[in-house]
Amino acid sequence: MSTQGGGVPDLGTAGDTRRTALSGVLCGIGVAAFVDETVFHQLLHWHHFYDRSTAAAGLVSDGLFHAGGFIAIVVGLFLLADAQRRRAFVPKRWAAGLLVGCGGFQLYDGVIQHKVLGLHQIRYHVTLWPYDVTWDVIAAVMVLVGTLLFRGRARVAGPGLFAVRRGDG
Amino acid sequence: MLELVGLSSVATWLAGYGAGLLRLRRRGVRWPAGRTVALVAGLACVAAGVLPPVVDHDETFWVHVGQHLLLAMAAPVLLALSGPFTLALRTLPRRSRRLLLGALHSTPVAFATTPALVLLLDIGGLVLLYTTGTYALTLQHDWLHALVHLHMFLTGCLLAWVVVGVDPMPRRPGFGGRLATLVIVAAAHDTISKLLYAHDLPVGAGPASDRHAGAQLMYYGGTVVDLAMAVALMGQWYRATGREHRRTLRRAGPGGPAGPSGAAARDGVVR
Repeated sequence: MSTQGGGVPDLGTAGDTRRTALSGVLCGIGVAAFVDETVFHQLLHWHHFYDRSTAAAGLVSDGLFHAGGFIAIVVGLFLLADAQRRRAFVPKRWAAGLLVGCGGFQLYDGVIQHKVLGLHQIRYHVTLWPYDVTWDVIAAVMVLVGTLLFRGRARVAGPGLFAVRRGDG
Repeated sequence: MLELVGLSSVATWLAGYGAGLLRLRRRGVRWPAGRTVALVAGLACVAAGVLPPVVDHDETFWVHVGQHLLLAMAAPVLLALSGPFTLALRTLPRRSRRLLLGALHSTPVAFATTPALVLLLDIGGLVLLYTTGTYALTLQHDWLHALVHLHMFLTGCLLAWVVVGVDPMPRRPGFGGRLATLVIVAAAHDTISKLLYAHDLPVGAGPASDRHAGAQLMYYGGTVVDLAMAVALMGQWYRATGREHRRTLRRAGPGGPAGPSGAAARDGVVR
C-alpha cells in the first residue's frame, strides 16, 4: 500500500494514529453512502428513492446519512492529506477505520434504515431475505476485519506516498 | 419585478468589484484570480436565475427548484468565495472604509450571522414555503414570488458567508462549528426534499410528475452544492492548519519537536 520510510518509528495504538483512524472511518462511511447511492439507486435501480411505507424518522435518517456521507468522505480525505503532511499517516489504522466505517454504515443501513424504519428495501419483487442476509453479513465481516486491524503494531507511511513537498498547502 | 431587482444588483456588484480591482491594480497589489472567477460565476448564476428561459417557466415546479438552486445555493457560495468585503475594505477611501468596518462589526451583523439563527431562517423558510400554502400564493402574487426569492438569496448568503466566506467575520464559529452547520443544513435540505416527494407537496405545484421531478432535483442538486461547500471549507482548513504546522516546525528549529510525529513531520515536509 505504501513505501515504508527507513528510520520512521513504529507507532502504537494511541495518540497520533487517532486522526488517521478517524479519517478512515469518515472515508468508510462516505464510500458506503456513495456505493449505496450510485450502484443501488442509480445504476441497478434496486433501491427506490422512496417507498410508501417510509416512516418520518426514516426520512430524517436518510437525509442525515445522504448529506453526512458525502461530506464525511471530503473531511476524511482532507484529514488523510493532513496526517500524511505531518508524517503521521498509518495505512494499517486507516484501513481499519475504513472497514469499520463502511461496514458500520452498511449494517446501520441494512438493519435500522431498511428494516426498522422501512425507508426502502434492497430490491423489489424478489424473495428478500437472501439479499438482507448477504447485505448484513458482508457488513459484519467488514466491521470484524476492521476491528482486528486496529490491533498489533503499525507503521507510519513513508514520505513518497503522495510525494508531499514543502510549500504544499 | 424579479428581473429588475436581480439585474440591477448584478450590475451594481460587477461595477463595484471591477472598480475595486482597478484600484488594487493601480497600486500594484495582487488579488487572487480565483476570487474574481468566483464573483463572475456567482453573478452569472444570479442572472441565469432571473432571466429567460428560467423566469418564463418558473411556475413549473422543477424549474422553480432549479431557480432556487441557482439563486439561493450556487450564487451565494460563489459570491462568499469572491471576498467582496475584503476587496472593499482594501480599496475604499478611509471614511467609507471606517463606516463599512463599523457596520461589519455591529451587533446586528453579529446577530444575523449566528449559526443557529441562520439555520432557523434557512430551514424555516423552506418549511414555510413548501409545506404550507405559501408556495401556491407565490404563483398568484408577483411581489410575493420576488420576496420569497429575495429571502432565499439573502439567507443563502448568510449561510455561505458563515460556512465558506473568505471575508473576515467577527465572532465566527471555528471550523468544527462551520462543518456542523453545513451538515445540519444539508441533512435538513435532503429531508425536506424527500418529504415533498413523499407527501405530494407543495400544494398547487401542478402535476405529480413535475412535483416529483422538482423534489428529486432539490435532493440531488442540493447534494452537489453541499459537496462543493464541504470541499471549499476543508480546503480552507487544510491551508490554515498548514500555516500553523509550518510555524510549529520553524519554532522547533533544526532539533525539531520530540516524538514520532515531530520527527516524522520534519522528514516529510522539509524535504
